[in-house]
Amino acid sequence: MKYKKLNNYAFPDKEGRFGEFGGKYVSETLITALEELEKVYVKVKKDKSFQKEVIKDLNDFVGRPSPLYFAERWTKKLGGAKIYLKREDLNHTGAHKINNTVGQVLLAKKMGKKRVIAETGAGQHGVATATVSARHGLECIIFMGEEDIERQALNVYRMKLLGAEVCSVDSGTKTLKDAMNEAMRDWVTNVEDTHYIIGSVAGPHPYPEIVRDFNSIVGKELKIQSKKEFGKYPDIIVACVGGGSNAMGIFYPFIKETKTKLVGVEAGGSGVKSGKHAAPLSDGKVGVLHGMKTYLMQDKNGQILSTHSVSAGLDYPGVGPEHAYLRDIGRVEYQSATDQQALKSFHDLTKTEGIMPALETSHALAYVNKIAPKLSKSKTIVINLSGRGDKDMFTVAKEDGMTL
Amino acid sequence: MTRLEKVFNQKETKNKVLVTYTVAGDPNLGSSKKILNDLIASGADILEIGVPFSDPMSEGPVIQKAHERALKKNIQFKDILNLCKQIRIKNKNVPIILMGYMNSFLSLKNKLAKELNQAGVDGVIVVDLPYDESKSFFNNLKKESIDLIRLISPTTDSKRLKRMLASSSGYLYYVSLKGITGAELKNFNEVKNKVKKIKSQTNLPVVVGFGIKDAPTAKKMASFSDGIVVGTKIIDFIEKKSTPKISNFTKSLKKAIN
Repeated sequence: MKYKKLNNYAFPDKEGRFGEFGGKYVSETLITALEELEKVYVKVKKDKSFQKEVIKDLNDFVGRPSPLYFAERWTKKLGGAKIYLKREDLNHTGAHKINNTVGQVLLAKKMGKKRVIAETGAGQHGVATATVSARHGLECIIFMGEEDIERQALNVYRMKLLGAEVCSVDSGTKTLKDAMNEAMRDWVTNVEDTHYIIGSVAGPHPYPEIVRDFNSIVGKELKIQSKKEFGKYPDIIVACVGGGSNAMGIFYPFIKETKTKLVGVEAGGSGVKSGKHAAPLSDGKVGVLHGMKTYLMQDKNGQILSTHSVSAGLDYPGVGPEHAYLRDIGRVEYQSATDQQALKSFHDLTKTEGIMPALETSHALAYVNKIAPKLSKSKTIVINLSGRGDKDMFTVAKEDGMTL
Repeated sequence: MTRLEKVFNQKETKNKVLVTYTVAGDPNLGSSKKILNDLIASGADILEIGVPFSDPMSEGPVIQKAHERALKKNIQFKDILNLCKQIRIKNKNVPIILMGYMNSFLSLKNKLAKELNQAGVDGVIVVDLPYDESKSFFNNLKKESIDLIRLISPTTDSKRLKRMLASSSGYLYYVSLKGITGAELKNFNEVKNKVKKIKSQTNLPVVVGFGIKDAPTAKKMASFSDGIVVGTKIIDFIEKKSTPKISNFTKSLKKAIN
């Protein structure tokens, strides 16, 4: 452990890097747009009136702060550490994704952009982007893989109701990574009037920083809530990791609080050993994709491998560069949960607590399901309950052999 | 003098350079080799050979499908190097440029420059490696005299251009439009002014690519640059299974620009 370094933790650096990870690996045409975004962001980060505007929308439009909830019955059932849930599922639109889009849409307006685009996997980021676009009267185009459009039909319709245009992407694996390719293609073509709202702590600099900062409201609130609720910071914080935005949001304010253990849970699919998964931090190699250097699922020729996960939101072959760095320095521990483990936890939480979690979130729950019974009752675990599971009912029903 | 310098030295005889882009292994390795040799025979001065990638972010639909066709044939990086070697055996003079995405080049790790040199490759174009990220990559290639061809776009300002020119070699590739390969080229005058500006800042040759699909456009673009790149239209013939038409098309371009 190189924890000594953490007191000066200040990433990304001037080059937009987290150690060797991150950077700006994009075509020349996009460099100017990224530099403009960086310039504006550096300015608004210090601009009190801008920050006030963000906070106002987070409070009145999103419904923050989200509660810290003690999962009493589930805790009893597992018979070990006390389990708390940070209820991001109660946000407007049902997930943490709105924390980022509320901020980025204000950035877009600041830059005078009239049109926003976004990629989406599960549809949560697409819905969150369509929502803030409606709220501010901006044109909104969402790119979504053909396969995801099929498994997330409800969210597709929601986006359309909100006035967004949903573009079906039928290239490559027809999922999140291909939606991101297509969004990049649109951005390079319409770079002058369009802001690309990336939905995860991924992509070229300054996106990993921007998305982390807007989501870190989750960790900041938790610091206050945990002190109030149980008089100290949590012993363990657990979050699921696809691109990694909900995890960075809750981890970031705790990076220097080294008494708190941080655990990210990737999508293990049919099991990491099976090769059918979406867990680049557990079983990937360093490479470059979507503007960033990070861990990727790839073959020996550098071709990106197709991924598998029951949850569309984790079905991504890469991961945010800050996670890659936090993994390498050992500050965050990365685990994985399989489809089956996640599905079981989905049912457990629904029946035990009356809270239906998103399938993405269910991966974090599955890990806690495994470790909580082994820990003493004096320990506290906080799970970032990043989203609600309404959107997943068709998938779960299908897995359970039912037709709705 | 490098092969690239020799080709561009024709400038003294006022000949413009025709650069063609095809994807290695599209539709298969054998045909790919035949197409490349036909291109040389029909007047191509420089071969840009695309390295197929699973996520070709800067390509329009036509070239995306070419990447997919090549990957379906399970083409490996070593196959591409072999292809270059075979072209080189038959032709000692034509410059060969590999064009692709960073992750493909990274897969060869520190052997990259040496392997490229041994395969007779003269330069590389890495679509998603902007100047800012390229320092060590540029230096590694330099050790084996491989040129890193820079892409310059309509959004590159003159301050940035100046910095880029300090570490450029071979030639410069001006991307004529904001967009993806095969898109519609609309504003000739803007391209003309930008190319003139670039040429006033450097002695390196400037070729123009993206959106050039016919002889008249090629002629216009060549009138103020050192050459042109054509890719999508050639690959369109491959997609439509009319490869025999490539030769005449290439000849018509060559004639138009000179």
